[in-house]
Amino acid sequence: MEPTLRDGDWLLVDPAAHAQRAPKMGDLVVARDPRAPERLIVKRVAGVAADGLRLAGDHPAHADDAGLIGPLDPTLVIGQPWLRYWPPRRIGRV
Amino acid sequence: MNWLVRALAPRATAHAHCDIPCGVYDPQQARIEAESCYRIIQKYHDSTDELFRARCINVKEERAELAKHHIDVMWHDYFKPEHLEKFPTLHETCWKAAKQASLVKRSLDVAEAQKLLDLIDKIDMMWRETGGPAATRMQPMQPMAS
Repeated sequence: MEPTLRDGDWLLVDPAAHAQRAPKMGDLVVARDPRAPERLIVKRVAGVAADGLRLAGDHPAHADDAGLIGPLDPTLVIGQPWLRYWPPRRIGRV
Repeated sequence: MNWLVRALAPRATAHAHCDIPCGVYDPQQARIEAESCYRIIQKYHDSTDELFRARCINVKEERAELAKHHIDVMWHDYFKPEHLEKFPTLHETCWKAAKQASLVKRSLDVAEAQKLLDLIDKIDMMWRETGGPAATRMQPMQPMAS
């Protein structure tokens, strides 16, 4: 997810972000991996289609992750990261 | 400070990468590298050629590193919590095997290489007893018709 997120970043995730509205293109989301539900993934919504969300990484090497993950049922989204609180020099909204 | 770090640390980890594990696992991959270490150490001691001995050390270090990698793959990717229930010593065995591979990397003692083989054999036993061969390996190919 570089450059937005780096390995080891600590994030606050808003679990109620999508209570009123569905995830939309461009949203950063934390979701259950549809291939292994106990695993959490953090991705950006790259598209919204009839069969689910398309997810992608911000790094060009992971831009085609949608093909690997497959369409994501929006109910698998568990929240939206909004703040990085660690490391200190990179604290800020994401 | 530790209590503060604990209090602030995230409660869950989200992954940003989507690698697809191939699902093929076999401790023999580690064993072959460990056998190479064993034999290379023997050849090292049998030789008086300094250049050959230097190459032996080089190759042995490379093979020991590969053995450690393959042990780690079994540990991190193949074994699951239910396997740990069946074999409570699973973590300790994998940990010892990975450490032993590091030791073989810097040792020229064939007994240390044997210890590594024995630990890999324990991992192999756990892999077999948890249905590894049927679950993770392709079945042997049929011989080609002549």
